[in-house]
Amino acid sequence: MTTHSWTEVQALGIKAASGAGVPPAQALAFGAMLVRHLADGGAEGPLAAALETPQTIISLALRIERVVEAASLGVTPISVIEDNPGQRAMLISWLFALPCHADVRIQGNAIEASLMLTAPSQRSRPDRVPLGPTLETQLQTLAAKTYVPDSDASRNAGAGAGQMELD
Amino acid sequence: MPAVKDMVPDIAPLRPPEEVMRLSRFGAMMPTRLSFLRAVVRRLCAERSKITRTVWTMDALGHGTAVYSVDFGGHTYSLVALSHDLPEDQRSDRVIATAWDAVFVLYDGVPSSSEVARIARNAPLQEAGRFSPRDLVLSRANKSVRMWDATARALQAGTQPDAAMIRDIGYLMRTTAVYGNGKFGIADRYLIADRKGLGGPFAAEMLTVYLIRHFTLDLVQHVGQGRLDPQLARHLGIGNATGLGMAPFLVNHPVLLNNWMMARETALARVRQIETLSEDQQAHLKALAKRAAQHLSEWHVPASDHDEALRRLEREWTGFAHHFDALDAPRPMDALWAVAQNASVALQELLLSLILEPFGDLIDGLADCMGDPFGPLTSPFGGTQALRHAIETNWPWVFGIDYTDAEACRRFWYVSAAKLEPRLGDRYLDVGAELETPLDIGRRVKALYENLPTTDAPVSAFLEAHPGHALAISRVALTARYPYADIRDNLIASTCRPIDMLRCKLSFFGATKFDPKSDLWTRITLAQGAPLGDELMPENDDWWMPVLT
Repeated sequence: MTTHSWTEVQALGIKAASGAGVPPAQALAFGAMLVRHLADGGAEGPLAAALETPQTIISLALRIERVVEAASLGVTPISVIEDNPGQRAMLISWLFALPCHADVRIQGNAIEASLMLTAPSQRSRPDRVPLGPTLETQLQTLAAKTYVPDSDASRNAGAGAGQMELD
Repeated sequence: MPAVKDMVPDIAPLRPPEEVMRLSRFGAMMPTRLSFLRAVVRRLCAERSKITRTVWTMDALGHGTAVYSVDFGGHTYSLVALSHDLPEDQRSDRVIATAWDAVFVLYDGVPSSSEVARIARNAPLQEAGRFSPRDLVLSRANKSVRMWDATARALQAGTQPDAAMIRDIGYLMRTTAVYGNGKFGIADRYLIADRKGLGGPFAAEMLTVYLIRHFTLDLVQHVGQGRLDPQLARHLGIGNATGLGMAPFLVNHPVLLNNWMMARETALARVRQIETLSEDQQAHLKALAKRAAQHLSEWHVPASDHDEALRRLEREWTGFAHHFDALDAPRPMDALWAVAQNASVALQELLLSLILEPFGDLIDGLADCMGDPFGPLTSPFGGTQALRHAIETNWPWVFGIDYTDAEACRRFWYVSAAKLEPRLGDRYLDVGAELETPLDIGRRVKALYENLPTTDAPVSAFLEAHPGHALAISRVALTARYPYADIRDNLIASTCRPIDMLRCKLSFFGATKFDPKSDLWTRITLAQGAPLGDELMPENDDWWMPVLT
């Protein structure tokens, strides 16, 4: 198990989700969830599984969107039922990863969330985030799918730094 | 931290985003006293900080290790500097370079010898190294060989380097990357953001840059075995070469961009509201106007089109100067600003920068509001009709762009597998467009608008059918709360000049002497004119638009 900065893990999660085919906004939110989840000691298995099926990530993002929408209408708490423990854990991490204040209670397979959309989250962040080698490899592999292979043309013709003269 | 919007006094309205958030204006921006480097040096001066050299193992050629420590905001920070012999054929300013004249780490505290050894193993690897939370910033720099050799030779000969050369080049080394906020394992920004002096954006990076400048002056005097005239030394800043990597930052950090611009615009509005000026204030403004003229006259760049733009500004400024004779009228700053509305954007931006300068008491507090400690606190739309209305209200510019026109979409931004260098491609000629980085916010918002249902529906229901529109929806929501969050231009048009985005960000850093090498990258100078390491006192914080007198 190696440790990383929060920013590294979050950025890797975003790129990996993008590499898995998740649209940009959902990938951004997934990266924020992933690092929150790992920092809070969450299991890596559900994250790895979600990255195998991008539709899972899109569906989780939609469910969170519905919670936020309900909160904006004054509904509190908002109840979310999820039987799959892995997905339930990710939903909880997703709520805690929101920039706004979130109170979350868990009762069996039900998550009860109260959001204060204009109040910032007060959850602390550690100085290091653990990341297991299997998940890291999976993240790196997916992230690499977002990079355009290097070529002489892209290096020299208008891309990158352009003309270079030194003094 | 208070939000900027809560600090906006009941004053003249801020300039609207549709006027401010344009690439043409970004491309003319100038550093101000709110710029991040300026804020850091101002605090160093306020604290009368002392820089201590604790390690110096350099050979006669200037290759070896140095450590400098400085007390700042109640903490001690150290710059670990490693200087190497770099073969000429390996010297490159590009991200894809693998060796540099010198590499640096800003360390939290005073490093032990084992920590210095750890840094010495990793810092030369830069992006391929691994760093710890005690490492706050990672950087590297290359010599301006011309300036370096001339300075070292002059000192060795017992003379001083040519002032004209210092004026024209302005630095001994230029950084080619300054990494902070968690990159490669260094400390996340939130771990230090509550510390005095490091709360502002890029504050740790700017402290590093200032210390690197101090190191370069020390090193050249070591190699030259002589002492630089302080006046010449002061005019040697630290260079920087910046490419496309900075441009996506502005798009990917919309709340931060909003807070930077909001602070700047609020400062302008406050100054315009000043009722009268004292004679001292009038004299100060006139002196600054003269200094600006001299700065422009000393600012020449090799690129003929950019140099001609500078010469136009120099001429226009000369013609504008007489307006500084009417500062004894009521609301003089507002009147001056009103006159400038008939001038070029370049002159307006220079004037903005100037008129903020004498009024630190009025505006310096805004520098504390330029971070983004919370992330976007937006509320969802009540339905698709509200979303439609928000697009019509805040994004009218997207309707003027025909995204079916090939030229409107010719560019695509991407990340190269080569050291993850951000690049810009031609959609119709280059490979990789399917891996485009989503900086095409305007195109996405217009596509969203065209897909919205005619009858109202929950946005989540719309998103269920159209998950690809989520990014556009989030940006429209952002702009409703953060008006300066988005650039109001087409960033994928064939006419888009990334250099304009670089200029914006670099001006917030405090850059001067912009020296564009193409539309894709530029060199700049930082800390030129800044007080030297043994001059950090409040009375020396007067280096806006430095000139070599």
